[in-house]
Amino acid sequence: MIEFIEGNDAVVRGAIDAGCRFFAGYPITPASSILVSMMRELPKVGGVAVQGEDEIASIGMCIGAAMTGYKAMTATSGPGISLYSENVGLAIMGETPLVIVNVQRQGPATGSATKGADGDIEFMRWVTSGGLPMIILAPENVQDCYTLTVAAFNFAERYRAPVFLASQKEVAMIREVFDYDRARAEAPPAFARPVAAVDCVYEPHACSAPDQVPLMSPIGGPHLVRYTTSTHDQRAYLTGDPEIIGAMVEHYQRKIEAHAEEMGLYDEELEPGAETLILAYGVSARSARAAVKKARAAGRRVSLLVLKTIFPVQEKAILRALEGVSRVIVPEMNLGQYVEEIRCLAAGREIIPINRMNTTLVTPSEILERGGLL
Amino acid sequence: MSPEPLEDLREEEQAPEACPSYVLPEMLPYGFCPGCGHIKIAGYLDEALRRLNLPKNRVVLVTDIGCIGIIDKYYDMNAFHGLHGRVITYASGIKLADPDLTVIAIMGDGGAGIGGAHLLSVARRNLGITLIVANNFNYGMTGGQHSCTTPLEAVTATTSKGNLEVPLDLLETLRPSKPSFLARTSVFGEGQVDLLVEAIQTPGFALVDIWDFCIAYVGGRMALNKRAIENMMEELEMPAGVLYRGTRPEYARAWRDLYLTDTPAAPAPPKGLQVVGKSELDHKVGILMAGGAGQKIRSAATLVGAAAIMSGLNATQKDDYPITVRTGHSVSEVIISPHEINYTGIDDPDIVLLLAREGLTQVARKLKKCSPTARIYVDESLAPAVDSPGQIIALPLNATAKEVGKLAIGPVAFGAALARENLFPVEVFEMAARALQKRAVAEGNIAGLRAGLTLGKA
Ligand SMILES: Cc1ncc(C[n+]2csc(CCOP(=O)(O)OP(=O)(O)O)c2C)c(N)n1
Ligand SMILES: [Mg+2]
Repeated sequence: MIEFIEGNDAVVRGAIDAGCRFFAGYPITPASSILVSMMRELPKVGGVAVQGEDEIASIGMCIGAAMTGYKAMTATSGPGISLYSENVGLAIMGETPLVIVNVQRQGPATGSATKGADGDIEFMRWVTSGGLPMIILAPENVQDCYTLTVAAFNFAERYRAPVFLASQKEVAMIREVFDYDRARAEAPPAFARPVAAVDCVYEPHACSAPDQVPLMSPIGGPHLVRYTTSTHDQRAYLTGDPEIIGAMVEHYQRKIEAHAEEMGLYDEELEPGAETLILAYGVSARSARAAVKKARAAGRRVSLLVLKTIFPVQEKAILRALEGVSRVIVPEMNLGQYVEEIRCLAAGREIIPINRMNTTLVTPSEILERGGLL
Repeated sequence: MSPEPLEDLREEEQAPEACPSYVLPEMLPYGFCPGCGHIKIAGYLDEALRRLNLPKNRVVLVTDIGCIGIIDKYYDMNAFHGLHGRVITYASGIKLADPDLTVIAIMGDGGAGIGGAHLLSVARRNLGITLIVANNFNYGMTGGQHSCTTPLEAVTATTSKGNLEVPLDLLETLRPSKPSFLARTSVFGEGQVDLLVEAIQTPGFALVDIWDFCIAYVGGRMALNKRAIENMMEELEMPAGVLYRGTRPEYARAWRDLYLTDTPAAPAPPKGLQVVGKSELDHKVGILMAGGAGQKIRSAATLVGAAAIMSGLNATQKDDYPITVRTGHSVSEVIISPHEINYTGIDDPDIVLLLAREGLTQVARKLKKCSPTARIYVDESLAPAVDSPGQIIALPLNATAKEVGKLAIGPVAFGAALARENLFPVEVFEMAARALQKRAVAEGNIAGLRAGLTLGKA
């Protein structure tokens, strides 16, 4: 079945199909339609949706509900992400599964409320104090808005962590063909939250190895559950012991980094003998695809890697794409953010960042011209 | 004031001799300063819980940051220790998720100040949590700085010459919102447990403001004791006791009663678009529809896109309009193509529909640079203002729309274009209107399209 819907609508559909039953948010363009749709749709499936008094309250309610057994989501844009910052850290610390949709708009500050940008890519990566790993997925079209929302829930639940969906106005508020049957076929099956056995001695952060994920047990359920914002031991009691704190941090790092490849979502169109690689994500990947088509039609050899999982950085996939390549083009609607991640991996190659931060899309012809592909 | 300011509390033992059931004996003694009023509050809460005899797993203690925030670790029950000032938000999420849980939140006066917005909101919602404010008139944990409840003239780490900020009356601030229960007491004297029991049993939002004693900083400096607190209450006109009992429904339940009326079901399948026609289009076409607020540009653009899809094409639609939606421009960009649409910008439009001056202003720069092959369908009145190398096709669009209905201006203009451009079958547009819009609206748009077709053919 095909429909003509917006990216934000597809996010809502993906969330509900992934099992999201709690939403709290605060209105902000271009994310407001997610709030409004969730408030309309969630009650139909027995879920709860509220408008918080601000972004801090909204994400706080989501964290509370997530620890009480709900799959939860919130959505905002750059200004709201600033207000989420501290609570994203709490979600990491408390190992709270949570999906955070950032429908980016041109910043900084209030910026251009109705215009797109990818200015928050590294902001999301380093959104909170402490610098622990983050999971961030970037949709390039309406179809992705569905499948990546489902994936975001699965990763959030699987790794007990907050996950960002790095959407933006140009993906969220564009209407295009959405094939629901195909989306459901392509999306991973919804991951059911594993919970601790009723008769176990429950410890909220106990895991068999640093990269393993502890089981949850809902507040109000069979076990007594503790949760804390402070450095803690496996029982969630505050500790100042450097060894225990070190182990805690190692766990938070390893449970994401050791599973980076399992979270690897990307599209590779590698061409043997290509000297140029275009590496893109989000809406700029669409310009990259258009550029690749034109370049190939003109007999050029060019490889394309479209990253849907932008964090954790898909090192293996990127290195594979870089093999034999002497030039890497990275288009982004910002001043050049993700290109810095690529620089770390692409030593010895010419790197061509193509950046725009005037609310308009990077054009395919710009990629062809600046990338020497004409 | 008493020459022995600390006597009321100094004689208190740190660890209660017999361990009550909700406090974990192995965690004692309490980590608070000897003589700190928080110790008393820990005892009141335990006593209240014992009286209520609630199952431990069905109670959750949500604590703020601050000295008072460490209190949860002494209890054998669910505990959620969150960020500074945000305790109400987590408690709200927990209560909304599980309305039958007993949710008790504790914060300091510091938390009440930084989290003021949450305090106002939770009282207005009347969400069923019990909030205890351990109000010791300063930030104990960070070294005795002044808080929102520090009395006037009080000397603290940050008011070295005396406090100039009027202390906040938490209860009177919330009273106009009519939450379920508002009470004040102190760590001196009696009756605290009764108040806590009533607060916890109250279905809606309940606040107990407990005037507390920080031995390390302001409490010691102000020589607080029973009499001093009583004097302060009188002077500030903030008496002890129950200030207010309300009867408004509890929010978590009320929300469910109001919104979760139907039994949960699998989401209803959405209405899809069927491919019913065939387009002969063999290339991508970018259509700019530029008008003003109130001209239903966006919905006309959606019809064009949907009709293209129903004709087997791909389509994208992007809209641009000021956030003040009832005024200014409204510009939609529609791309239709037999191929996959990657780049969604329209840098050089193929077809332009110009319907209002605001829209023209918005797209003027693009029109100036567009190819000579661009077809610009424009209302007669606007035509002289168009500065473009494209082909300008001036038609009485507005006058025609007036005849069929002003809101159909978009379909009128698109009809004029469709008469000359081989995009997709006319009937499919009509079917798209009927599939997506309410009947009266659809018929109006179809009439508009037909009038436009006649205009375009002439
Ligand atoms: C966002 C943020 N700002 C500041 C702090 C530092 N801080 C910790 S406790 C506290 C105030 C505590 O005062 P109160 O809430 O009255 O509790 P008390 O220590 O007096 O019991 C502050 C400002 C923090 N933890 N988080
Ligand atoms: Mg205090």
